[in-house]
Order: sequence, then structure tokens, then C-alpha cells
Amino acid sequence: MDGYLISQIVNGLCLGLIYALIALGVAVIIGIVGFATFTQGEIVMIGAYSSYYVFLWSGNNLIYGMIASFMITWIIGMILYKVCYAKFFDSPEYISLICTIGFSMLLKNLAQIFFGAEKKPMLNIIENRIYHLGIIEVSRVQIMVLVTVLIMVTILSILFTGTSWGLKLKAVSQNREAAALVGINVDKTAMIGNCIGCAIAGVAGTLIGIYYQSAYATMGATLSMKAFTSATLGGLTSVPLAALGGILIGVTENIGIAFSSASFRDIFSFGFLIIMLIFKPTGFRRKRGARA
Amino acid sequence: MMDKMDANVKKAIMLVAVIIVCMLPHILSKSIMTIVCSIMGYLIIAGALNVINGYSGQMCFGIAGFYCVGAYTMAILMNTFHVSFWIGIIPSGLFTAIIGALIAIPTLKMKGMFMAMITIGFSEVMRLIALNWTSVTGGTMGIKGLKAPMFFGLKTSGASRYYYIYLAAVMLFLLSTDRVIHSRIGRAWMAIREDDMAAKSLGISLNLYKIINFMYGAFWAGIAGALLAPYKTYIDSAYFTLDEGFNILSMVIIGGQGTLAGPFIGVTVYQFLVEGLRFAGVWRYIACAVLIIAMMWLRPQGLAGNSESVLAGKKNRSRSIIKLPEVFSLDRTFGTRRLGKANIG
Repeated sequence: MDGYLISQIVNGLCLGLIYALIALGVAVIIGIVGFATFTQGEIVMIGAYSSYYVFLWSGNNLIYGMIASFMITWIIGMILYKVCYAKFFDSPEYISLICTIGFSMLLKNLAQIFFGAEKKPMLNIIENRIYHLGIIEVSRVQIMVLVTVLIMVTILSILFTGTSWGLKLKAVSQNREAAALVGINVDKTAMIGNCIGCAIAGVAGTLIGIYYQSAYATMGATLSMKAFTSATLGGLTSVPLAALGGILIGVTENIGIAFSSASFRDIFSFGFLIIMLIFKPTGFRRKRGARA
Repeated sequence: MMDKMDANVKKAIMLVAVIIVCMLPHILSKSIMTIVCSIMGYLIIAGALNVINGYSGQMCFGIAGFYCVGAYTMAILMNTFHVSFWIGIIPSGLFTAIIGALIAIPTLKMKGMFMAMITIGFSEVMRLIALNWTSVTGGTMGIKGLKAPMFFGLKTSGASRYYYIYLAAVMLFLLSTDRVIHSRIGRAWMAIREDDMAAKSLGISLNLYKIINFMYGAFWAGIAGALLAPYKTYIDSAYFTLDEGFNILSMVIIGGQGTLAGPFIGVTVYQFLVEGLRFAGVWRYIACAVLIIAMMWLRPQGLAGNSESVLAGKKNRSRSIIKLPEVFSLDRTFGTRRLGKANIG
């Protein structure tokens, strides 16, 4: 039982890292664009599919696959921004929310038409080998996930803290009008923020495809909810806390599975969401600035 | 003189409409009656959602959860406790209403996407409980062998006979909702939707009316579920997915939130799109998705919606103090009410 529990925690951590990546994307989108998104799960699905086709073409080249999913979901992010957000900054938020629901239905059904309803196998992208560190067993895929997530997070933090782009994104997320006053192209910057959020989710899609060894059209169904759940921990806009939330949810789910059955997986994450929203809807972020 | 003529003509039209509606199963073929029955079913659930989203402006995205609770309550009552359909239908609705209150109380202070997310979470949890609590709900096997009820010795199984039960339920729903909407409660809901701060300052208890609103919507959603179970004779959790909830939501939005006629128009358009474009295969779902996005771009208040309401996408319009009296006259809402009656016949 002990070994089983530990391996479940390791699995949970690994899955949690992927959730963290998706949740990071959600936090970036909500922080910079200011609207919630229901499309994140479908973006993950598009990311998985695009890397699947690139893996077929390039003979399982991991780097090509990730770059492809990053770029394609970036383009989808641009379309998403134009369709669902650009026109609705002055409207009630439910309008853009419903637009994203429509867009996610569109993506899901288009994927079913063009890629087929059956699961696409993504076998042996990485040679499956298990390393033993004392009592802990870690597979090669899990190490790959960890490394990728760390690289992505590092790039993001450099982008946000060290470049002028990051400064612009921060300015837009803090106050749109003031940012426009100091000469920032708000529309373009918000679009870039949305694209970054989507592209991170695309890379997470590649990781999920490799982790579950398949890509299929409905794989994103609950992922956007889980990402949102993770993001609530940081009051929806805090990037590091969203990542922490993702890891927490992955671990909670897998520990929950260890004590009950795998079919209860989603109940744990949605229960977590409901409890979190009822008792602490603003998350654990200290309040700064006006945007809530 | 002219008025009298008008009244007589109206009466005649009403009579013809009532006769046509009552004779529908004898006019239309069985396959079309199946579509009509599904439209009737969706009409109740979409109307229930419209009460929550349209009239009081809350964002309930998880109506499928209430649908699920109602259907399973009915199925369990009929299957395990052998309760007759006619006795079981009201308890199913009431039980769903209690669940609705349990959701409404913790979410009273929430708005916008938080509310949307928590109701979605609730809907998924309900579905997953139905899927996994095998000893009570049958798990993945669902509940089988439900029988359509007997009405004084007449069988009601099959779409063309069950149609009358749906018809009665829809009529009851429209009548009671029409009464509620034009009572003190309905006006309080609309005031909360247009501007909750102003409503509060006029002495409307936000908490009380929001809970009543949720319970009323949940009650009818539960009734819709309870009607679905014996009609399909078999239910499982696949009927109540998030996508189903989003479909119902899009019907309400396409038709127009906050009007009685809205759900009717929305459900009819949506169902004819889904059923009428059957030759187009899966492409019809793309048509639905495009329709939703197009509606948000062109007419966010829906086909029958009121362009003066906050639902029409004019943010903060009613926040300006000068326009407050105009909002509270609510004349224009009554304008849509008349439209509603004309369309329903």
C-alpha cells in the first residue's frame, strides 16, 4: 500500500504539473484580457492533435512536436481573440463567455470531422524506462514532463520580468486605460497575452497526449474546468498560485483515487472547486490594485 | 365595433390554434411527433433556465444538474419505491427545488463567471454521482424499464400519446410562469437583473428573491427531468452532460433571455437546425456553434429579446443615476410580454 500511495503521489505530481501549465495559461488570459475562457480544454486538444501529426511526419521528434503545437495554438489564440474578445470589452462578461462556449463547440466538432472520432494512438514517443530512486519509481515520461514544464515556466518568468513585452503585458493587466494613455497598443498587447495563454495550453496538450498515449476530440472536456479550478486558488490572475493550484489538484485527485476508485477522479477536483469558491472566492492572493 | 370584431377574430384564431395543437398527433407522422415531443421537453427546461438567467440575471450554466436530479428522482421513485408517475412528479420537482436552494444559498454573493463556474461544477458533480453511485442509480447501466403512466386506463407510451402529457406540462409551466413574472416576485427579479444596487435601495431583499428564483427554476427543471424519464423509459447519466447544459443555454440565448417567447423560439430554431439538417451529418453541430457566435455578435439579447435591457449588451447603462426612473417603469419589459403572448398563441 505504501509503495502504491507513493507512486500515486508521483503520478499526481506529474499530472499536476501539466494541469499547472494549463492553469498558468488561464491565469495569463484572465489577467491580461480580463475575460474567462471555456475554450482552454479544446486548445489543449488542438495542441495534442498538431503534435500527433508532426510526430507522424518527423518520426517522433519531441522538439518539432512542441514547436508545432505552440505555433498552431498561437494562431488559434489569435482567431479566438478576434472572435470572442475583441468586440466585447464594453459588454457584460457573459457575452464573451458564451462566445467562448460557442467557439469550443466549433473546435470540438471540427476536430471530430477532420481528425475522426476515434482515438489517435501516440505510442512510444519517448522510450518507456523506469528509474528507481530508493522507494520512488519515476518513469522517463514523467521526467520529460517535469523538464518541459520547468523550461516553459522559466521562459515565461523571464518574459514577464525581463522584457519590454512583459512590462506592456503587466501594464495592460493592471489598468487598460492607463496603459493606453502611456502609448501601449492595448488591443495588440491583449491579443499577445491571449496567444501566450493559448500556446502554453497547446504545449500542455502535447504533454497530455504523450502521458495518456492518445489524442482524441473530446479530451479537453473537463480540462478547462480543472484549469479554472487551479486558477481560482490564486484569485484567477496570480500566475504562480495558479501553478501551485494545478499541482495541488493533480495530487488531490490521485490521492483520492488511491483511497477510492478511478471513476471518482473528477468529483474530487469539482468538489475542490466548489469548496474553494464558496469559502475563499478571491483565492490566497494578497490584494493589490483594483482588478478583482 | 372594430374592437369587437377584433376580439371575435382573435377568439376564432385562438380556437383554431387550440384545436390544431390538440389534434397534432393525428395530423403529423410519428417521426415528426418525436421531434415535437423533444421540443416540448426542451421548452420546459429552457424556460426554467430562462427564469434563472433571463429574469433575475444570475448566471446558471449548470442547468443539466437540476435536470439530472429531477429525472433520477422520478426514476428511483418509480423503479425502487413503485410510486405512480402522477404522485411522483411533484416530489421530484420539490426535491430538485430544495437542491436548487442548497446551491443558491452559498452563491448569493457571487456574480459573473464565479457563479457560472460553481454551477458548472455542481452540474458535473451531479452527473458523476449518478454515474458512480451504482447501488442507487444503476451506475453506467442507468435505470431501465420505466413505464409510461396510465391515464384513467389510457396508455400514454409513445411520442404521439405522451405528447399530451408534455402539452399539459408546458401549458401549466407557461401559465404559472406568466403569473409569477407579473407578480411582485417577478418584478423584483427584473429589478435585480437591471440594477441590483438600485433594487436593494428600493427595499427588495436580494437574498430572498434570488433564492426564490433559483428554487422556482430548479423546480421546473426537475419537472422536465421527471417527464423525460418515463418518456425515454430508460435514463443514464449520458443525458445530462455539460454539453447538454450548454445546448439548453444556447437555446435560451438564441431565443432571447428574459422573455416568455424567447425559449420557445430558441428551442424551435435549435431543434429544427439539429433535426432538419440531419442530412448534413455532424456539420449541423457546426451550424449550431456558428449560430451561437453570430447571435452574440449581432443580437446578444436574442431573437425575441428586449434591446433596452442590460441583457442587450449595454454595460453600465442603468448605472447612471439619471436613467433610474426609466428602468423602473419597466414598460418595455411589458412590451415584450405582449410579444410573448402573441407568439405562444
